[in-house]
Amino acid sequence: MSCYDLSRLLFDLKMNESLYQRSLKDFEGVMGEYELTAEEKDALRAGDPRKLRQLGVHGMLCLYIKRLQPEFRDNIYWQQK
Amino acid sequence: MPLVSAMAASHAPNILLEPGREWEDFMDLHYSMAPQGTASRPTFEQQKKLRRDAEAAFGVLRKDLEQAQPDVLIVIANDQFVNFFWNNIPTFFVTIGDEVKGQFTRHSFRYRNHKELGKAIIRAGMDKGIDFSYGPKIPVLPIYVNTWVDPAPSPRRCYQVGELIREVAENSAERVAILATGGLSHFPGSPRIGEIDETFDHKLLEVMREGKGKNLVDYSVQDLLQAGDTEFLNWMVVIGAVGDAKASYTAYMPDFVATGWGFVSWRSL
Repeated sequence: MSCYDLSRLLFDLKMNESLYQRSLKDFEGVMGEYELTAEEKDALRAGDPRKLRQLGVHGMLCLYIKRLQPEFRDNIYWQQK
Repeated sequence: MPLVSAMAASHAPNILLEPGREWEDFMDLHYSMAPQGTASRPTFEQQKKLRRDAEAAFGVLRKDLEQAQPDVLIVIANDQFVNFFWNNIPTFFVTIGDEVKGQFTRHSFRYRNHKELGKAIIRAGMDKGIDFSYGPKIPVLPIYVNTWVDPAPSPRRCYQVGELIREVAENSAERVAILATGGLSHFPGSPRIGEIDETFDHKLLEVMREGKGKNLVDYSVQDLLQAGDTEFLNWMVVIGAVGDAKASYTAYMPDFVATGWGFVSWRSL
């Protein structure tokens, strides 16, 4: 599939707590650990799930980018394991 | 022995959330996929009424299940990128670990898993040409259907899985009950979030009341997708298991947010 690494990063943001914590401090560094295009990195920085969906990411994974945004960090939805 | 109970119920997150702040959290996040980032929202009073109505519907299912006195409950469920990722998407998966567990908000569960029954279903599938994936370490509920990534199995295939499970149950000395989760119409992660195809949902419930679920096998996955009803594939498994039995109880409540909540029980199988 296309955008595999982009999808994986979003999945890890929700399911991998240590990666999430590192992302809060150094998201550029974490993005560097995945094979992402410049366009994909821009979409991640923009933090708009609708843009990620346009790049081919599954809609449920797109939502996971919101976890980095201050107003969504305590959203109840993340308490799912 | 024949199946002793069959049921289906929605599993939308807000069924488990408290009206008010928790619902707002849920809507804030999911509506970020909507074209303008917003959609209509139920009032606090509407949220509380939905909560009461859903609890009443679950109460009916719980009573039916208790009266059937099952030894084991088979749960047909799906995932949404919690247990599985693109590196391996099983179409049908049976958990054969010692236990199943999960957590959503303050609700967590941990149950002993009936892995012997799981293995019997896997073996019966191999004999009949339905090849389940299986494994011990993935803490999903016992039987899982890919309803959320393309390509998904056809309604016809899901119905066949249900027929297979009924056969395994009939050959078992235990009292087996089955529950489908998910649905009905909803569009999570889509610009159509907030839409609910109530007409389609009512049609599905009517077919179940008439005991004509087999007629639904001719739907394509695309038909279900268009109506936001791909999680109905979980329900198709239970419909295959109940065959021509008529649903004895149905309830339906669109939640104004994301999902047409549906509840069904088949008391006579």
